[in-house]
Amino acid sequence: MKHNLSYYFIPQEKNNFRAQILKNGFLLILVGFYLINQSVIKFIGTVKPGVLGYSSEITAQKVLNQTNLERQNSGLPPLKFNSTLSESASKKANDMFSQNYWAHTSPNGTTPWDFFKAVGYQYSIAGENLARDFYDTESLMKGWMNSPTHKANIINPKYQEIGIGVVNGTLGGIKTTLVVQHFGTPMKNIVTKQTQPKQTQVEQTLEPNQQGLKDVVINEKPVVLENSKILSEQKSEYINPLTINKIIGAIIFSLIIIVLFIDGYFTLKNGVNRLTGSNVSHIGFLLIILLFMLYQRQGAIF
Amino acid sequence: MIIPKEVKQKPVEYLSLALIFFVSLIIYFFAPIGSHGQRLIVYFMAGCYFFWSIIHHYRRGDLSFSIVVEYLVMALFGIVLLSASLF
Repeated sequence: MKHNLSYYFIPQEKNNFRAQILKNGFLLILVGFYLINQSVIKFIGTVKPGVLGYSSEITAQKVLNQTNLERQNSGLPPLKFNSTLSESASKKANDMFSQNYWAHTSPNGTTPWDFFKAVGYQYSIAGENLARDFYDTESLMKGWMNSPTHKANIINPKYQEIGIGVVNGTLGGIKTTLVVQHFGTPMKNIVTKQTQPKQTQVEQTLEPNQQGLKDVVINEKPVVLENSKILSEQKSEYINPLTINKIIGAIIFSLIIIVLFIDGYFTLKNGVNRLTGSNVSHIGFLLIILLFMLYQRQGAIF
Repeated sequence: MIIPKEVKQKPVEYLSLALIFFVSLIIYFFAPIGSHGQRLIVYFMAGCYFFWSIIHHYRRGDLSFSIVVEYLVMALFGIVLLSASLF
């Protein structure tokens, strides 16, 4: 047993002075094993929907607060919560679950604007942000703010209202939380602004600090968000596929890195000259990949 | 601090590789590039790592098919690990 293990981990004459794990064939086997693991996770998601999933503590109220905080930081007025827009956002999230898709336009061609129209929201300008698989609101907002197109929606000065849908369900066999932001400016407001230029001017002369105070007052008022679901109570009910992937990936990569160190040590000790790649560069590359994987942000945006 | 013999022999080459890793790391974690941009950074870094290996071993005079495959497999492994599990 000990002898067999040393064959895989320690360079010696029997393995041509290269740890068996580091040989190309064995590395390809590990790549294949990882890909099979991916397929198994997807298969479990299909056969047993709901076993795997992403837990979340996101609520619509938190998303609203964070969104307005980002706008405040950009010197913009806060967005007003609109229940009609929230209805359209929730309808969009439910549509993605029921039709099993993850996109702005559904497989049957339904666009975001169709959801706005369906709930009777007449807009002059509108926008949509989507997110899934995030655990907390801070990471979700960071994800959106790091994407130029999503950020453009959040800090768009033309938007006046927002609706948020935070809905949980099963997408592609995996339990998750979908977050939909619907931005809009009602048609009548544009007309009002055009006919009352003085009022607009007054708003524009407010100092950033005063705007901030205004935000706080608005946010202090409790807004009832019917579509918001606090999911923290359900977070231990299913297995997070991302965690499985991270654990398996970390084990494989750590194993290779350790064997590379052992291999380098024995090669140096025995003074063996081999025709192989540089252990130093391999270790550097794998460590960076490992770091990327372990500290990767959760969730996906669209 | 122990510096491996191969690094001492070709310090500029290893420094250039370290620079590629460092720049990739900074962009990946700190630039507002989104998940699509992060994916591109991983591809870029894996590609640079592979081409670095070819230049490095060519200059060292021991470039062979098995070494090219070795780096290719390592780069592929890195891409598969991140692409399959995170994006």
